[in-house]
Amino acid sequence: MNNLDPKRFILVGAGGIGNWLAAGLVRLLEWKYPGSGLIIVDGDNYEEKNRERQEFIKLGNKAVVKATELVAHFPNTTIIPIPKWVVSDDFGGVASDENTPKITATQLIAENDVVFAVVDNFAARKIIFDAAAKLDNIDVFTGGNDDDLFGSIYHYQKRDGVEITAHPAEFHPEYNFPPDKNPGEMSCQDRAEIEGGTQLLATNMAVAAFILGRVQKTIVNNQISEETEIFFDLGLGKSEPYNRNNVNESLTVQ
Amino acid sequence: MDTNSSSAQQPRANGMANLRYGVYNQPSNIAGKTVAEVRSQFSKIWGIPNDAVAYCGKDKMDENSVIQPGQNIEFHRRAGEKG
Repeated sequence: MNNLDPKRFILVGAGGIGNWLAAGLVRLLEWKYPGSGLIIVDGDNYEEKNRERQEFIKLGNKAVVKATELVAHFPNTTIIPIPKWVVSDDFGGVASDENTPKITATQLIAENDVVFAVVDNFAARKIIFDAAAKLDNIDVFTGGNDDDLFGSIYHYQKRDGVEITAHPAEFHPEYNFPPDKNPGEMSCQDRAEIEGGTQLLATNMAVAAFILGRVQKTIVNNQISEETEIFFDLGLGKSEPYNRNNVNESLTVQ
Repeated sequence: MDTNSSSAQQPRANGMANLRYGVYNQPSNIAGKTVAEVRSQFSKIWGIPNDAVAYCGKDKMDENSVIQPGQNIEFHRRAGEKG
């Protein structure tokens, strides 16, 4: 695939990180890759309590509201909302629960996609990474933060069936043994009881900015990044990159 | 937070190795010490939890592993979860 060809970006999660990331991704596609697609996936709704950290034009499903907002300003990008929760392939009841629309990760992502997994739990991210691992050419960026000023991002990449960077579960047992649950695989009542926590706007925006920086280097500039994983702490004013590459870092992605 | 380990009680050591945890990255006089000793030394100043596994590259190190001079030791930090 030519690096100048139109892309298909899939943003999973349009909340604290995803709503800021969407603003950056759509601008990148609009001017660098006109004719591209931005698919926004989220089963959750914007509520008034979200305004402290998230920007939205009206209440309602996050994917639909964010897509509606962006379509009006970016005519060279096809923006498609998918108001569904992402679940694993072996999750039962995908078609049977009309109140909680779902899509499996393997139905969602395809070869050559660039995926952004900015959901708020390890369980859902693991589902997306596992689906990506079955493909030959894929990029998955993820990021998250705590309730304070710490955050991290990770870039998983495969080219021609080879894992350029390691699956994040190789370095993070929290993916294989998540302390949380995928909201898409919870009941409506359980999901309603999830606390939003006390996240900070600055940290959400920083995660989005770090991801956009990685996209610029590895997708736009087509470079293999040594900075596969980055930890940051806005309180300490520190960031630290880690090389999780499986291949010689001097190689250039073809 | 003081990230300088020099004030901590120093078990035996005979050389430098590099130690990393999250945003922290510091050459330290830790060669010759065990992973458990290093964890104890840095746990308070860097906040390393007891369940953070130590790695040398992709090789998992157990608590009794002795750190060699020049090694790059990483206590894996849990990724950011929310968003």
